[in-house]
Amino acid sequence: MRGLRGRLRILASIAILVAIAVAVFYPQAAWNAIQLPLFAVFSTTRMVFAYLLSLVFAITYGATAATNKRAAVIMLPILDVLQSVPILGFFPAALVFFVVTFQGSPVGIELAVIFLIFTSMAWNMAFGVYESLTTIPVDLEAAAASFGLRGMLRFRLLALPAAIPKLVYNSILSWSNGWFFLVASETFTAFGGTYTRPGLGSFITNAGLAGDATGIALGIGVLAAVVLALDTIVWRPLGVWSERFRMETTGHEVPRVPSPYERFRWLPRFPRLRRTFWASAQPVVTRYRRASVRLDRTYSAHPKVLRDIRFLDLAMFAVILLLVVVAGVFGLARLFLSPLPPAAAELPRAAASSFVRLALAYAIALAWTIPLAAWIGRSPRGSRYLTPVLEVAASLPATALLPIIVGFAILVTASLGPAAEVSAVLIALFSMQWYLLFNLIAGVRAIPDDLNEAARSFGLRGRAYWRRVLLPGMVPSLLTGSITAWGAGWNALIVSEYIPFLNPPPHVSGLGYLLDIATFNKPLPDNEMILLTILTMIVIVLAMNKLLWRPLYKRASVKYRVEV
Amino acid sequence: MEPSLLEVKDVLKSYFENGKEFKVLDLIRFELAERDFVCVVGPSGCGKSTLLRIIVGLEPPTSGQVLFEGSPIRADNPQVAMVFQSFALFPWLTVTQNVELGLEAQGIPPEGRHARARKFIDAVGLTGFENAFPRELSGGMKQRVGLARALAIEPLLLCMDEPFSSLDPLTAQNLRDEILQLWANPDLPPKAVLMVTHSIEEAVYLADRVIVLSSRPGRMVAELEIDLPRPRNRKEPEFYGWVDEIYSLIV
Ligand SMILES: Nc1ncnc2c1ncn2[C@@H]1O[C@H](COP(=O)(O)OP(=O)(O)O)[C@@H](O)[C@H]1O
Ligand SMILES: [Mg+2]
Repeated sequence: MRGLRGRLRILASIAILVAIAVAVFYPQAAWNAIQLPLFAVFSTTRMVFAYLLSLVFAITYGATAATNKRAAVIMLPILDVLQSVPILGFFPAALVFFVVTFQGSPVGIELAVIFLIFTSMAWNMAFGVYESLTTIPVDLEAAAASFGLRGMLRFRLLALPAAIPKLVYNSILSWSNGWFFLVASETFTAFGGTYTRPGLGSFITNAGLAGDATGIALGIGVLAAVVLALDTIVWRPLGVWSERFRMETTGHEVPRVPSPYERFRWLPRFPRLRRTFWASAQPVVTRYRRASVRLDRTYSAHPKVLRDIRFLDLAMFAVILLLVVVAGVFGLARLFLSPLPPAAAELPRAAASSFVRLALAYAIALAWTIPLAAWIGRSPRGSRYLTPVLEVAASLPATALLPIIVGFAILVTASLGPAAEVSAVLIALFSMQWYLLFNLIAGVRAIPDDLNEAARSFGLRGRAYWRRVLLPGMVPSLLTGSITAWGAGWNALIVSEYIPFLNPPPHVSGLGYLLDIATFNKPLPDNEMILLTILTMIVIVLAMNKLLWRPLYKRASVKYRVEV
Repeated sequence: MEPSLLEVKDVLKSYFENGKEFKVLDLIRFELAERDFVCVVGPSGCGKSTLLRIIVGLEPPTSGQVLFEGSPIRADNPQVAMVFQSFALFPWLTVTQNVELGLEAQGIPPEGRHARARKFIDAVGLTGFENAFPRELSGGMKQRVGLARALAIEPLLLCMDEPFSSLDPLTAQNLRDEILQLWANPDLPPKAVLMVTHSIEEAVYLADRVIVLSSRPGRMVAELEIDLPRPRNRKEPEFYGWVDEIYSLIV
């Protein structure tokens, strides 16, 4: 520990020296440096609010779907669609709603940003809760019932702990999704004006707008530092802690992102700081527990009260569902009964070009991630030196890299039209590639040593080894990674195909572009086109999931599953 | 004869799959009094677990009735406790917390809970492991926790579903003898034991009375009083006589 602290002290001194030098030679950058911590706090606060909202939603929604079979029939498909649909597509509509409702006041914009981040976090968490609650071992349920656990007590001792592993796992995923959406939403153009909330995302975007290279670098650096710091002091310890709640019989799943304990293993863990924190949190937890037990005892003595609450709950759910369904049917009917707007003729071509762009980005991603994953997954040395670099790179949301990518594209192509095309593909690539890489690494690592040794003892080398051992071992994780990567790619379209803050705005034809101009480029948003574009996207995404990924996945899990 | 603690009246259980009826249990009927040690034996899949789940109120029978002290059984009845083949310990709770589960549900304040939990942790020989988590324990120790948890609510009737089937033979034998001691000790619960097993030897070793079920659907083939003196010796010819008789009944 002495060595570590010594190194930290040296690092701190270097940082202070650099800071002084910067302050003297670049006053503008120094001013940024003072503002940036504040911006970091603002952005993180938004993330925390959105996360807490998602947590409450996930637990309520997941628990209701798990305990109420009738409700689950409707709740699960809704969740399935929301989880796989490009949520960013709804962003324009949500913005318009919040901005209009709050008449352009900062509160409305703030709420819109938080809502957007929420939509990127909530669904997989709710699924995690649902899955955990429906897979509690029968005997554990029986024990809980026969020892009389009911209500809050059952929730606290059985349901919540059983949900924790998947909840934490999905929280880590959601949190990194959240950054992508945060950066995308802190600055946006609508109704001919630009709305900005102070934060790291808007700072980076504005620096990009002003062509301020130091500003871009500083913003991205601070963002990376914040992401890494939170991963180190919050998510990684949480991931380790959640291990305690795993049922012993369930195996490990193939992670869609690096698993919490592998990720950032090289960073310090601050055991003393964490102990102090938990020690101070202990009294609060105890008091809460006492109160909840008292509450539970009061109510479980009155089964009628419980029944009434459940009934009210169900009635409310039914009313909301009815409203949603009626509104949806009504809206769709209006949309398709009236003549389609002329712009709708562009939809098929736009869909095709968006798809081609994503496919190109996917192909590029595969081309470099498969060999690299094969190497990192089998070489401890490669893993040790390269993993930290890759993790830092992956921790940056593609939206934050937007200014750099656009600048790079302009530099390379030297004209705006092709630059837009190149940057659109690059942004999609940066949104997709990390999911593939880390899943593939996990897949290679999951190949049992026995299998590798058997291959070596039979002299399997070179192409034969790839064909017989490596590639089959990668297939399941390649599919999981692909599903997630394509989901991220569709979301990226909305920020990549139209870049409103440049003048004139570079754009390429595609669904994201259609959606953006339908929302932002008119005095009033074109609701019909917004809806039609989103519907087109949803249909494509769902079709790909149902017709391509799911069947492939099912076949792969039968054919390539490695028995342990 | 003592008054009946438990009455199983013409219990029948069917599952329906794709509109077809699968009968699992057919007209099970027996009684159990205080001081009884009853074993239900039958081949795997004959519905023993299902019968036990019905008896403790975790599942309703398709027809028939289970009465405990004269009134219909409820799952959360604190006079009946359950021990599981898979132990069913909560992995996130310590030994003490697991043992306190039923007491907490009854609303017993922490001090009373701790004292009672300690008493039964000692009784099953787990002193020193109060703060261990289940994953740190061996199979035999886990089942001791399951036993302590069941005894802690001081039940009249202890129900056990193949409690020793996933343990190694030596551990299982030790635990069998301890169960017998607990049952014989008038100062400690339980008053009566109902145990389900597929091992005929185990049933003859433990029970006063053995209820023999046929394979699917589970039907009562016989109800036998085992009048061997205790402690029983597996090597004696009388012991073998009983085992052979039950064996021929099932086959
Ligand atoms: N929930 C259920 N739905 C359908 N069939 C069931 C269900 N539970 C048990 N069964 C069937 O009932 C039979 C008896 O099961 P069980 O009571 O577990 O047998 P045992 O404990 O004697 O091995 C089995 O064939 C099993 O397939
Ligand atoms: Mg069974």
